[in-house]
Amino acid sequence: MTQTLKLIDIELEDYSLENGLRVVLNPDDSIPVVSIAVYYDVGSRNEREGRTGFAHLFEHMMFQGSENVAKAEHFQFIMKAGGTMNGTTSSERTNYYETLPADQLPLGLWLESDRMRALAVTQENLDNQREAVKEEKRLRYDNQPYGEIFDILGSMVYKNFANAHSTIGSMEDLDDATVDDVRDFFRMYYAPNNAVLVLSGAFEVKTAKELIEKYFGSIPSQTKPPAIDVTEPAEVAETYRKHEDKLAPLPAFLIGWKIPPRRDPEHIALYLAGKLLYDGDSSRLYQKLVKGEESVMQLFGFTDERRGPSGIMIGAIPKADMDLDRIRKTIVDEIKLMASEGPSEEEMDKLRNQLISSEVRSSQSSLSRAQGIAECTLYDNDPSLINRELSQYLKVTAAEIQSAVDKYLNTDNRSLLDIVPSGNSN
Amino acid sequence: MSENFRQTAPESLGVIPFNIPNPTKTKLSNGLEIVLLEDRRHPIVSFRLAFRSGDINDPKDRIGLNAAMASMLNEGTEKHTSKALAEEIERFGANLSVSEGLDNTIVKASTLSMYSGQILELMAELVLSPVFPQKELDLYKQNTIEGLKFQRSQPDFLADEQVSRIVYGAHPYGINSPTAEDIGKLTRTDLVDFHANTFLPNNAIMIVVGDFDSGSLRAEIEENFGGWNAGEIRNPELEDLPARSRRTLTIVDRPGSTQSNIVLANLAIKRDHPDYFPVLVMNQILGAGASSRLFMNLREEKGYTYGAYSRVYSKRYAGMFEATSEVRTSVTGESLKEFFYELNRIRDEKASDQELADAKSYLTGVFPIRAETQGGLTGLIVSQLLYDLPADYLETYRENVDAVTLDEVHRVAGKYIDVDNLAIVIVGDAEEVIPQAKEFAEGLEIFDTDGKEKDAESYNKPANGAVPVNVAGTWELSVEAQGQKLPVTLVINQAGDSITGNLESMLGEGELSDGKVNGNSVSAIAKTEFQGQEIELGIKGTVEGDSITGVMTTSMIPIPLEFSGLRK
Repeated sequence: MTQTLKLIDIELEDYSLENGLRVVLNPDDSIPVVSIAVYYDVGSRNEREGRTGFAHLFEHMMFQGSENVAKAEHFQFIMKAGGTMNGTTSSERTNYYETLPADQLPLGLWLESDRMRALAVTQENLDNQREAVKEEKRLRYDNQPYGEIFDILGSMVYKNFANAHSTIGSMEDLDDATVDDVRDFFRMYYAPNNAVLVLSGAFEVKTAKELIEKYFGSIPSQTKPPAIDVTEPAEVAETYRKHEDKLAPLPAFLIGWKIPPRRDPEHIALYLAGKLLYDGDSSRLYQKLVKGEESVMQLFGFTDERRGPSGIMIGAIPKADMDLDRIRKTIVDEIKLMASEGPSEEEMDKLRNQLISSEVRSSQSSLSRAQGIAECTLYDNDPSLINRELSQYLKVTAAEIQSAVDKYLNTDNRSLLDIVPSGNSN
Repeated sequence: MSENFRQTAPESLGVIPFNIPNPTKTKLSNGLEIVLLEDRRHPIVSFRLAFRSGDINDPKDRIGLNAAMASMLNEGTEKHTSKALAEEIERFGANLSVSEGLDNTIVKASTLSMYSGQILELMAELVLSPVFPQKELDLYKQNTIEGLKFQRSQPDFLADEQVSRIVYGAHPYGINSPTAEDIGKLTRTDLVDFHANTFLPNNAIMIVVGDFDSGSLRAEIEENFGGWNAGEIRNPELEDLPARSRRTLTIVDRPGSTQSNIVLANLAIKRDHPDYFPVLVMNQILGAGASSRLFMNLREEKGYTYGAYSRVYSKRYAGMFEATSEVRTSVTGESLKEFFYELNRIRDEKASDQELADAKSYLTGVFPIRAETQGGLTGLIVSQLLYDLPADYLETYRENVDAVTLDEVHRVAGKYIDVDNLAIVIVGDAEEVIPQAKEFAEGLEIFDTDGKEKDAESYNKPANGAVPVNVAGTWELSVEAQGQKLPVTLVINQAGDSITGNLESMLGEGELSDGKVNGNSVSAIAKTEFQGQEIELGIKGTVEGDSITGVMTTSMIPIPLEFSGLRK
């Protein structure tokens, strides 16, 4: 029942500067806005023991000023121009982006190029941002019930230190960071040859190329950063842990499995299986647990998509006084069922329509397009994949989903994290 | 070192005009307003069926009714069970949901345009023939009651509960959540009646933006909704808003909290007030974003927090101004000082021309970005219609922002930031917060996380006339640190209500300072070394005879360490 829909390809032009900076341009004049995305090939996966939280701390430092931009002026320039901006750090990369009225393209390129070439790394900036990061950790992780559980599960599923530690890092490691450490980190990872620049929105290609050459062309390249090893054994690192959470009002649990890297066909099949299992009111586990057994207050799951070995996590906050083992058995049984019979025709139709809808929706936003293109360029070295990704997902068959579930999820090779409330808040 | 052109910010390439085209407006004979805006750029359609009826329309003895009715619309219709509905909608890759708030309830859908006919039909089912099955209602009630417990573990919720109560008083805006008792009272008949009374075509607007042909779509809307009968619109029962005569401090005690959630709030303007644009610009300068005064002070300069902001909530009947931040517990007092510094500054001194220009250029510049996606554009149109803003509101938005003057910003800051009568609400560790915050207000109320008021007198005050108990001696303690029990020896010398001494453990030794005894409460600070670093350990205990229990806190560890022990 899926009707055919011809989606228009995103127009792309990609090239590299002499200093190694990869550039991709996506002109689209529907609305007079432009989004700029700069992705640096550094994430928590690049951190070694004793230096966790560095990539993320560094993301904060990047907003503290550069040679020609005073401390915190980055925010101010963007806001003054009527733009929005942010940056995020993940295991895979650090990204910086802004969306501006189209006439302010030069401003965005000036700001991004100045901090790429000459970030102001000072003791004062380091100290201030270290405190801000600690507050962020307190706000999001320490002071929230269930704040840390995804990080804990990550450390159970992945064995390799590069994959297993959290992006926010430890307070002790952050305290140990010196100004020299930060300068070295900058030089190594924040180089044009270690970055991708994407523009999406309303601009003239010729003008954009000239501006990019003007602002980025003279930034010197640096030595390539050291290669990292993100290989994992097939087994999860730890199969069971109990974690006491002083702020949690109810017990909860999370289960994690290790799955192949993001572009592997089996990873894609498992991502789709995940959607059928836990995504939306018609998902199997929602209907079985939230509705059927009425045993769960909140069901959640996601695919931890990485360039290397990845993960799938499914969890629940059960209602009070529920039998957690029984809920987990339902999850395991549902996985067994999908492993033996695979998804139905209706479920495959649903997946196809959802994938197409999602693609259309995100293609409306210049920022979504820029980010998607940047990922394909940084991770896969092929920006044109942005126009072919959807078909990779659409061509997955029910049999492929069934077989991937059987191989990777229908197994005892998984991590179970039990979260137990231990505070007064009952 | 830099090339010349890098030394200053570059010029604009030349502003590209942007205008939102005007939607077409018609009405069905039953009063349903239809607003259509064709947008063929992407093969999707966004629907919003918006009702000017919300949580404030709840009868006084049926709080939570509108939210229940709204949530239950997709839990079963005459044609489809809850499960079948979920399957139908998700099979099309579409979204169909209901959102409710204090003023309005909106049925929202978005879909690929090739399925828009089917989705419109499903919307009509939800709105015209919901069944509110008893079984689903029972589940909803059970889940909602469980959810309320969970809510109480969220500091934001706890702050909001107090702020709403204090600022809005008995007005329906003062209720931020039903209680378990409220939910327990709801019956299926209540929902059926409430739906019939509030879901009226003459109280609703159907807004559609996207890839469709207006003529055909209007006919489809007529087909689906034409038979819907108009009815008498009942306005919500409103109460007078409370008048304030002093600043108050309300604390929600969350012992051991590593942060204080601070909210400073007072009544402000409603959505269609003529001061809307000056207030918008003033708030942009003060605290709307990351380059505003509050953020720059409390986060960038002082490092107290991850973020500090101010917001103006303007609803249909009233509104509120609020300044907020989540700060390290130990700098609660300093943060309040900075908040008041900024709130007074924007009232006492005119802002600078530069700040005014920057605020305006943000608000006007960001406007097209908000309208970039179909969802964003639809949201802007829905707001304009629901709040009965002028027909040219979106067209003239940027002009109105540009017209605001420094004098107007100064005037509205003085008028709507009621510095002397603010409600200060802090969710955090009461024992730590009270001494830091009490100087900023008259009056102190304390609540626990269940929302129950506690006796403020019993917090952190010396028992009147109580003789300090004898705490001198050598105490052998066991401290719970990260799953392990650590033996610690505390040697205390006492002179009246002050104590000195030292603390010894296998990790180090340190002298006590700031030692006090209040009745049977003991407190002190020990400076000691831990893994080569000097740390401050806060010690607080309660003595009963020869036994002591309490907590130790240090900034290195996010949660307090419980201890107990005996005097030798």
